[in-house]
Amino acid sequence: MELQQKNPLRDFAPQLERTSIQGYVWIVFLLAVIGLGFYAFLQQVFLGHEVTGMRDNVVWGVYIVNFIFFMGVSYAGALISGTLHLFKTAWRKPIIRMAEFITIIALLIGPCFILLCIGRLDKLHYLVLFGRIQSPITWDVIAITTDIFGCFIFLYLSLLRDLATLRDYELLQLPNWRKKLYKVLALGYTGTPEQQQRLNRATDIMAAMVISIAIIVYSVLAWIFSVTLQPGWHSTIFGPYFVIAAVYSGSAVLIVCMWVFRKVYHLEEYITKKHFVAVGLIMLVLAAFFGYFTFSDYLTKWYGSEKNDELLIQLLFKEFYWPFIISNYIGVLLPLLVVGIAKFRTISNITITSVVVIIALWLNRYIIVVPTLESPYLPIQDARPEWLNYSATWVEWSLTAAGVAIFCLLFTIASKFITIVPLSGSQGEEKKEDVLV
Amino acid sequence: MEEELNKDQKNSRRQFLKKGLIAGAGVAIGSGLLAAYVDTNAAETGEKVKVLTTDGEIMEVDRGLLKLPRVSREESHKGIPGRKFVMVIDLGKCKNARKCVEACQKGHHLPQSQEFMKVYLLQDSEKTAPYWFPKPCFHCDNPLCVSVCPVGATYKRSDGIVLIDNERCIGCKFCMTGCPYSTRVFAWKHYPEFDEDKEPYSPEASSPGKEGTVSKCDFCPDLIRVGKIPYCASACPMGVIYFGDVDEDTVTNGTETYQFSKLIHDRAGYRYLETLGTRPCVYYLPPVDRQFEVDRGFGDLEESVKDRYKDTPYSKKNKP
Amino acid sequence: MAIQPLNSFAEEKTDSAAAPAESRMALNYLCSTDSVNLSATLTIKRGDMTLALENAVVEFTASNGTTTTILGTAKTNQEGSALLSFPSALLPTDKDGMVSYMAKFTGNDKYPAAEATSSAKPAKIRLFFSIEDSLRILKVTATQKNEKGEDVAIPKETVLIYIPRLFSLLKIGEISLDETGTGTLEFPKEIVGDTLGNLVVIAKIEEHDKFGFVQGKNVINWGVHKQYYKAEVPSRELWTPIAPLWMIITLLVMLAGVWAHYMYAVYELVMIKRLSKKDKPLF
Ligand code: SF4
Ligand code: SF4
Repeated sequence: MELQQKNPLRDFAPQLERTSIQGYVWIVFLLAVIGLGFYAFLQQVFLGHEVTGMRDNVVWGVYIVNFIFFMGVSYAGALISGTLHLFKTAWRKPIIRMAEFITIIALLIGPCFILLCIGRLDKLHYLVLFGRIQSPITWDVIAITTDIFGCFIFLYLSLLRDLATLRDYELLQLPNWRKKLYKVLALGYTGTPEQQQRLNRATDIMAAMVISIAIIVYSVLAWIFSVTLQPGWHSTIFGPYFVIAAVYSGSAVLIVCMWVFRKVYHLEEYITKKHFVAVGLIMLVLAAFFGYFTFSDYLTKWYGSEKNDELLIQLLFKEFYWPFIISNYIGVLLPLLVVGIAKFRTISNITITSVVVIIALWLNRYIIVVPTLESPYLPIQDARPEWLNYSATWVEWSLTAAGVAIFCLLFTIASKFITIVPLSGSQGEEKKEDVLV
Repeated sequence: MEEELNKDQKNSRRQFLKKGLIAGAGVAIGSGLLAAYVDTNAAETGEKVKVLTTDGEIMEVDRGLLKLPRVSREESHKGIPGRKFVMVIDLGKCKNARKCVEACQKGHHLPQSQEFMKVYLLQDSEKTAPYWFPKPCFHCDNPLCVSVCPVGATYKRSDGIVLIDNERCIGCKFCMTGCPYSTRVFAWKHYPEFDEDKEPYSPEASSPGKEGTVSKCDFCPDLIRVGKIPYCASACPMGVIYFGDVDEDTVTNGTETYQFSKLIHDRAGYRYLETLGTRPCVYYLPPVDRQFEVDRGFGDLEESVKDRYKDTPYSKKNKP
Repeated sequence: MAIQPLNSFAEEKTDSAAAPAESRMALNYLCSTDSVNLSATLTIKRGDMTLALENAVVEFTASNGTTTTILGTAKTNQEGSALLSFPSALLPTDKDGMVSYMAKFTGNDKYPAAEATSSAKPAKIRLFFSIEDSLRILKVTATQKNEKGEDVAIPKETVLIYIPRLFSLLKIGEISLDETGTGTLEFPKEIVGDTLGNLVVIAKIEEHDKFGFVQGKNVINWGVHKQYYKAEVPSRELWTPIAPLWMIITLLVMLAGVWAHYMYAVYELVMIKRLSKKDKPLF
């Protein structure tokens, strides 16, 4: 047993110990993108929100789209890792850590985007001081905070064994402070039966919690839109629709992460086609659900054709034609075809599909947010073009890019800190795995 | 109920005393009462003078005698006791003169790009009549904008007025999406007009504005407190906008005064988009017996204003 | 742009640059039951701009051609109006019973002097309420003084009936006086009064050549009882400061449930740590 556990670590040690030239270039590149984003942020702070493309009608733009997107990715990570854990899925081991990282990292970035939307960051603490329970934003603040704590606890629980392994692995060439850090973080876990039992119990509970909170939090986020009376937003289906869309986008992000780490850290041995197909199948099911929700949402709007719903749908098929087609047709059908037909199921096909799905889902959020704001009950009558139609400025795009860059950077750093594939599983599961292998 | 009545009696006594006081001030004018808030040099106020109503009703002018300091933020939450304000807009008389917009912007120290009062050119369907539609905040009795505010920066008072406290507002803009009538405006930057106002901020004045916060039509409670109707209502040359206390069943546009219930009954007054359930406090009188052709609304507008209406079905149809 | 009010320094600068100022005065007169109210409005016209002059001292006088009485002085307010009221009994009248009023601003180094006059004969309007055949009747009489100082009727005039409201007067009817200076009106129903139904009723003669503006006033409880909106203000709504109870309860229950589980997980972690300490000696 001991040996079995040390073996993979020897493979992973270089990943933790050294960073290649390409690795440094990559990090510098990310830092540059983040720097640009920071400059854009300063512009926004000092020149006012006028530097964005948002105006009185379209008060929320790309920022809120990114917010929904990152939060969605995060919840998906939580849902996937929680479910895989609870059902003790055998093949989950190499990818579950990635799902957990996705959860935490996206969860840290998402809320930053909503902060960018806020006019007076200096008064942010009023959200706590004067919070009104009736406001969905307050629900969101409470839910996201709860979620962050929950996800951290869950991640920590699942890291504990590996931390202990890293602490005990003498051969690791790491600076002293890191060794100390592992030691502190490992909490003196040595794997005694009682410790194991307690750890398993806590992890199971947290897995269940993380799943349920993810559902609640994402529904709350959807309700920010659907409690308003705006045509296109005021829909009862939004809660579950958003949850499904979130998990869907998250599964795609997971596949892309798997592909990237497999390539970069040469994990071909650990992450195999089996995993791609398995997550791909999850994505397939979610694609079907997503298509179903999208269809029933637009069908009812189109069929009933209330005046403003009709205007909205017209707008979607005119000015938002391509985003609409990509997100609601290609984004649904492509996974069905590629993953659904066994012949097409290759690692690269599945990965490319995932990239398309990610773009499609981002656009999906965009055409949920922007067209509705562009077609309010009272027609927009304005001579100023930027008041009529929203188009994001370089500030918004830079900050979006910076968000993605931070996501990548944090992921890179995390993978330097702890192995991207868990070193150990709990006793019981390992036995199962042994049987499987 | 008993208590209510007693309170009312007390109120009316207090009212009476107040009136007496002001009348007294009229006699002893020039001493203490006034000296408290003005300096002693004769000075121009900068306000354009309005034509005096010829009915010579001095009591009315009397109340304007006192220049009240703006009420504090705490006070502005309370509302004027025993009142419930309402506005009636007569669409039959509107010709898009835009005096309401201008007076409001001047009164609230707003930049050109922020309008509390907006004038739309509406046409409900292809074959129905086009009409000009001035739209303030409706001060809804079920205000979604207030419901969704996470910090209580926007609130509804006992007199029905919905205000925004820009010292509290964090600028999340949720209220802007919550309001189904596109009423609210955001300060996308610091506009120089905000600096014109040297008085301390009060939500009742909605001025001086603040970058990164939301503002909107406020029914001018600072004017109401000195017995005046809102800027828009008194500025309209057509007398389109009536304002008053619905509990008193009276609305006025400054020159004509009507019984609210009778006006609404006789002219089939309605509220815009009643189906949304927001229960507005602004009523419209349908655009019948028009005094002006819709075209008159394009009269002598600036190009930039004219441009606004170029995409409306009406303008498109009438294009040569 | 208009000049900022009350800033005397800014004023000086603007003044020297601007066109010469012209002062204008308007005088309004109103005679109520036993007092006379004068309101003088002082404006400055400079170029195309008309501005109200604030804080100027206006002196009011009354005369009958031979004697002049100084009634008092008043300062103009923000709108440029100076107001004065005084008992009508003290006024010097000429042989027709007319009084000439004058409002005068003596001017200062910035603004020239201005004055306005107006003359009128004091008159009185009285209101009486009665119920006849279950109809509510308002009766109005208008009187003036003859040379002997007796009250005599003002015949054949039109009297307008108003209810004072928050911003203006609500007209509820018109009465034409007969030979005896009397007229009646059936009082309309459904006029809202205060919560006790009390109404102030005002009767006015307006813009009369001889009498100017005359008004009388009385109170009657013929109004509909006012219902205050405040009485029905709900306390726990979506839009009120305090949330509906079910919301608070749901939130608390959910939060308690979730955080209790968190606590449990953290507790397990603490126990793991404890166990390791206990185990230490073994290694
Ligand atoms: S019109 Fe809009 S801003 Fe005004 S009270 Fe109603 S919901 Fe609020
Ligand atoms: S923008 Fe201001 S007033 Fe509007 S919901 Fe947010 S905090 Fe409240």
